[in-house]
Amino acid sequence: MSEHKELYLGYSTDKAVTPFFQDFLEALEQEKLMKSKCTSCGAEYLPPRQHCQKCLSECTLTEMTEKEAKLYSYVVVEFAPMSLSSKQPYVVAIGEFPSGLRLTAHITNLMAMPEVGMPLRLGFEAKEKMVTYKWLV
Amino acid sequence: MARRVAVVAGGHSKFGKRFDATVRELSAEAFKPIVDEGITQDKIDASILSYAASQFSGQGAGSALIADYIGLQNRPHMRVESACTTGTASLRAAWGMVAAGLYDVMLVLGVEQMNRVSSAMATEYMSQAGDMRWEYPFGISFPAFYALMASRYMSEYGMTHDTLAKIAVKSHHYGAQNPKAHLPKEITFEEANNAVAICSPLNLYDCSLITDGAAAVVIASEDRVKEFTDRPMWIKGIGAGASEMMIQDRASLTSIPGAKYAANAAYKMAGVEPKDIKMAQVHDCFTIAELIAYEDLGFAEPGKGPELVENKENYHDGRIPVNCDGGLKSKGHPLGATGVSMTYEVMKQMRGEAENSSRQIDDVDLGLVHNVGQSGQFVNVFIFERGW
Ligand SMILES: [Zn+2]
Repeated sequence: MSEHKELYLGYSTDKAVTPFFQDFLEALEQEKLMKSKCTSCGAEYLPPRQHCQKCLSECTLTEMTEKEAKLYSYVVVEFAPMSLSSKQPYVVAIGEFPSGLRLTAHITNLMAMPEVGMPLRLGFEAKEKMVTYKWLV
Repeated sequence: MARRVAVVAGGHSKFGKRFDATVRELSAEAFKPIVDEGITQDKIDASILSYAASQFSGQGAGSALIADYIGLQNRPHMRVESACTTGTASLRAAWGMVAAGLYDVMLVLGVEQMNRVSSAMATEYMSQAGDMRWEYPFGISFPAFYALMASRYMSEYGMTHDTLAKIAVKSHHYGAQNPKAHLPKEITFEEANNAVAICSPLNLYDCSLITDGAAAVVIASEDRVKEFTDRPMWIKGIGAGASEMMIQDRASLTSIPGAKYAANAAYKMAGVEPKDIKMAQVHDCFTIAELIAYEDLGFAEPGKGPELVENKENYHDGRIPVNCDGGLKSKGHPLGATGVSMTYEVMKQMRGEAENSSRQIDDVDLGLVHNVGQSGQFVNVFIFERGW
């Protein structure tokens, strides 16, 4: 992949891209969400970290096999930061997988107000220069 | 053994949309009352002159500009930055220098100029304090982080927005009596409950203001205090803490872990308990933040904050008066000035110098300041003791 994709609209990844993060983005294009696992102590991280928070060893990317989660908390953003003004309103949700790992993303297909505890499933979206993960109800 | 340190004087600019001033003029406005009291520049050994974000004013290395503008030439100065706790972080750093004996008398001044950019741009800058890789791309604004706490609190404890509206009504009730406040007007419960949505479940009246302003205090070592005042406010306890960078990584969203940590440390250092505190200035960047503060500071059990609100125990004549100057909500929240402004207000209340008796808290011998940065990544708690 020669060109950097953006993780979401309104965001330039230029300042964030590393080989490790690039691998994450390329997997995301294949509709794979990657967590990371410490090569030394086995701790797991979502979103992935290149360095283990506990022992600072290197982590490797590994695919999340969990696809179903529960809504831990949410917010409806009616007044957005300038970079996402064109998308408001949108819903940001923290979903919790059965393993306890959590993921922060938008819920994109809501028809009613979300409720804490409701089931969510992982989804993906890619357009021109943007690739992202999202929650679906 | 560290030397005891007291706050001996303070000054405060008018908070608001200050298109008549920038960081330099606001700083002068906050420092002038101190000079007028006789604590002239030559008596200040060193200073910490801080603001949270240079993006708002466009001025880099601003402590140099401020020091020069307010006449502190040749005296050492620096800036301390830690988001919305910039003011108390500056005070904490200055306390250390005075307690250790490096300096005897220091000026701590916090300032922020925020209204030269649009609200959407100000929201943009503040959202960049979230994790730039994993949070910012999803447009999680500053109120959005606290809305995530509010949704969770409502779900865990069955709280409704009514509780938050009552906190906003109280803030505006006291802000209306504070001549320095940015939005000094009363609001009704209905207005607070039905205002335009910003980040649901939080609406406009749940949010603090985007404010320009400055506040300053002078601290002195115990052997020098008498030169400046016979009413010193001793710094009796200092606690600081931190919470996980990403809000999703916190074990709980109904508490700010770093605030509990900071509060415990401050109570321990001061040798006092929550029930001993006569007033608190808490970091109500959002109404939900004030509610959570009651619990993190030990004024209410977890989940019982709404009862404290319902019983109006947080009013000036209640069990634990909170933010009887209007708080960040009505007085305003110029990021770097806020923690210093809180400290100034405790001194004012201790001295019985509130503008009118309907916001003056009776007999304050111990006051607390709770200052939170971002969504809890920084927290400072100070306990002050009346010295006369
Ligand atoms: Zn490890």
